[in-house]
Amino acid sequence: MTLESYLVLGLVLFSLGLIAALSQRNLIAVLIGVELMMNAASLNFMAFNRYVIQDPAVGQVFVLIIIGLAAAEVAIFLSIILRLYRVRREIDSEHLTELKG
Amino acid sequence: MDTLTLALLATLSPLPAFFIALVFLRSQPRLAQLVALAGTVLTLVGSTGLLAQGPVEPLRFLWFSSGQINLQFGFLFDGISLVFGVAVSLITLCVMVYSLSYMAHDPSKSRYFAMLSLFAWAMLSFVYAVDLLQAFIFWELVGLASFFLIGFWYEKPEASAAARKAFLMTRIGDVGLFIGILMILPLTSNFDLPTLLNAESGLVKLAAPAALSTITLLIFMGIVGKSAQFPLHTWLPDAMEGPTPVSALLHSATMVAAGVYLMARLHPLFMAAPDTLYIILCIAAFTALLAATIAMVERDIKKVFAYSSISQLGFMLMGLAAGSLFAGVFHLITHAVFKALLFLCSGVYIHHFETNDLEEIGRRGGRRLRATTLALAIGAGALAGVPPLAGFFSKEEIFAALGHDGATLFSIAALFAAFLTAYYTARMLLLIVLPDKIEEDTQHGAQHGPAQPIAMLAPILLLALGALALGFGGTRLAAMLGVIPAHHEIASMLPAIGVVLLGILIAYIDYGRRSSARRGFISYVPALQKLFENRWYIDEFYRAVFVRLNDALSALFYSIEQRFFDAGFDGFGSSALKAGNSASRLQNGWVQIYAGATVVLIGLAALYIGLR
Repeated sequence: MTLESYLVLGLVLFSLGLIAALSQRNLIAVLIGVELMMNAASLNFMAFNRYVIQDPAVGQVFVLIIIGLAAAEVAIFLSIILRLYRVRREIDSEHLTELKG
Repeated sequence: MDTLTLALLATLSPLPAFFIALVFLRSQPRLAQLVALAGTVLTLVGSTGLLAQGPVEPLRFLWFSSGQINLQFGFLFDGISLVFGVAVSLITLCVMVYSLSYMAHDPSKSRYFAMLSLFAWAMLSFVYAVDLLQAFIFWELVGLASFFLIGFWYEKPEASAAARKAFLMTRIGDVGLFIGILMILPLTSNFDLPTLLNAESGLVKLAAPAALSTITLLIFMGIVGKSAQFPLHTWLPDAMEGPTPVSALLHSATMVAAGVYLMARLHPLFMAAPDTLYIILCIAAFTALLAATIAMVERDIKKVFAYSSISQLGFMLMGLAAGSLFAGVFHLITHAVFKALLFLCSGVYIHHFETNDLEEIGRRGGRRLRATTLALAIGAGALAGVPPLAGFFSKEEIFAALGHDGATLFSIAALFAAFLTAYYTARMLLLIVLPDKIEEDTQHGAQHGPAQPIAMLAPILLLALGALALGFGGTRLAAMLGVIPAHHEIASMLPAIGVVLLGILIAYIDYGRRSSARRGFISYVPALQKLFENRWYIDEFYRAVFVRLNDALSALFYSIEQRFFDAGFDGFGSSALKAGNSASRLQNGWVQIYAGATVVLIGLAALYIGLR
């Protein structure tokens, strides 16, 4: 296993997440895409930590913060989606364009 | 009372009257006219007191000084200002008393009397001014007051147009006057009149002859405007749209007299500039003839007097330009009295018959108003120059002044103008007194009280006395001015008397006999008749040249403004709007597009940084 294989895996994960976040119309799917992107970022951090800087604390701190952040983000995102669903009875991002110029 | 109190009485008392009448007494016209009358009476008291005191040292008060330049306000008491001040205040008082009756039923009487007071204040302050700049300020105020009074019936479009015309035409001259006054400043660093006119150290010595000619010519421009000389005379006949007492005031002692007065005031300056004098003589002589020919064919009684005013002002300027201060001032004062008289008389007819037409006044029985007609005859005689009425003596002085210069062309022009004056005056009188047929008295005037109320008759009779007697005051006036009047032989008076009698005789042949054709001799030359009836087409000429030119220029500038500036700014605005509109299409509210754009841009940035 080399650093490159981890980075390729991270890139694939990030790309899948990005495609999901940009192409899916369902907000839950968008949320999943965003989570995937975050995990790809975490994986990159850990890979660099393992192969470039030998001090384990540096990468782990970042990853822990990202995991905490993702948990908080999911909570807020889901509650917004729930609220949105109660008000509009749909969560299709294509129809949520009230801020159009 | 001391001089200062008298001077303040004479000049300042109409000002509070104006203010009170205009601000507090708008709805109490009876009180307003009393206040205005009181102000004018005080003025008369002041100016008479000053005249009784005789010429004294001028009073000067520093207004401000800046570096070398000192500007001041003050009062000048010499023969000209003392005599003319009394004439102004007396005639203003006469006109006010007359107006009590003439304007009795006018709804805005308060405004009328307030404006008369403003007029009196401006004119008297102008007359007594010691400083040229002070004089200019009040000169403009005189113009302003006459603007208000000519346009007094501003609901009438002709009246407000006439007021505007008077204001603008005189303004053309005033521009020149102001430039002329400013040109004096670098030479003397003050405007004090006695200093300016001093023969040893005044402007005559300080200014180069060419500069002096320019200055006097520019000042004369202002006089041309104010005293309605050719080519700026056309405002004056239109000014007849104002109430008749206003015309009486405007055309006798104030407004038009201001121009002649200014020239008398600055007479030594003009005397030192022979080129200017020659130009003045030409313009004045031409104006006197031009206006007299128009007056020959006018049918409107007020217009006849208006053109005769222009013509007589030409006479005064000729007298002054011929070198005789006395002749000009004497004619100015006698003319003020008899022209006010004539206008007030015409006001009686207009008030009673409600028409301005000479023939109609005659047919409706104008001569039944005996006292007025008698006064009119006296005024007309004075205007025509019938001895021994006032106008004869003053015109005689002008002829003498023109004659001894050897300026024969001008004296012939003056004699011819005097002949025309006698002719049109006699024609005016004959049309009223001897109409071809006279209608029965239809009791038309019954609904507005007596035809000749006492308030109208008293000033008329006073002025008629003046027109009768004033001619004999020449020697005293000359003494006041400090000149010795030339002694006139009977033989030298003969041509003047001759042309007057000839004019009256021809008018009698044309209009007076039972069998006469009742048309002017000029009507046998139809081209001339048409020229005179259309006032020499001067108004038409101005309309065709200046008004059209102005319109064309305005249209040009308007199109430039529309095509370039306006269109430019409009285009700038609308293209900004369009840019905004198309930019706002990017902002479609679809979050995922934003996110995608962000990713692409960040990617591009990363590529750029990475490849560098």
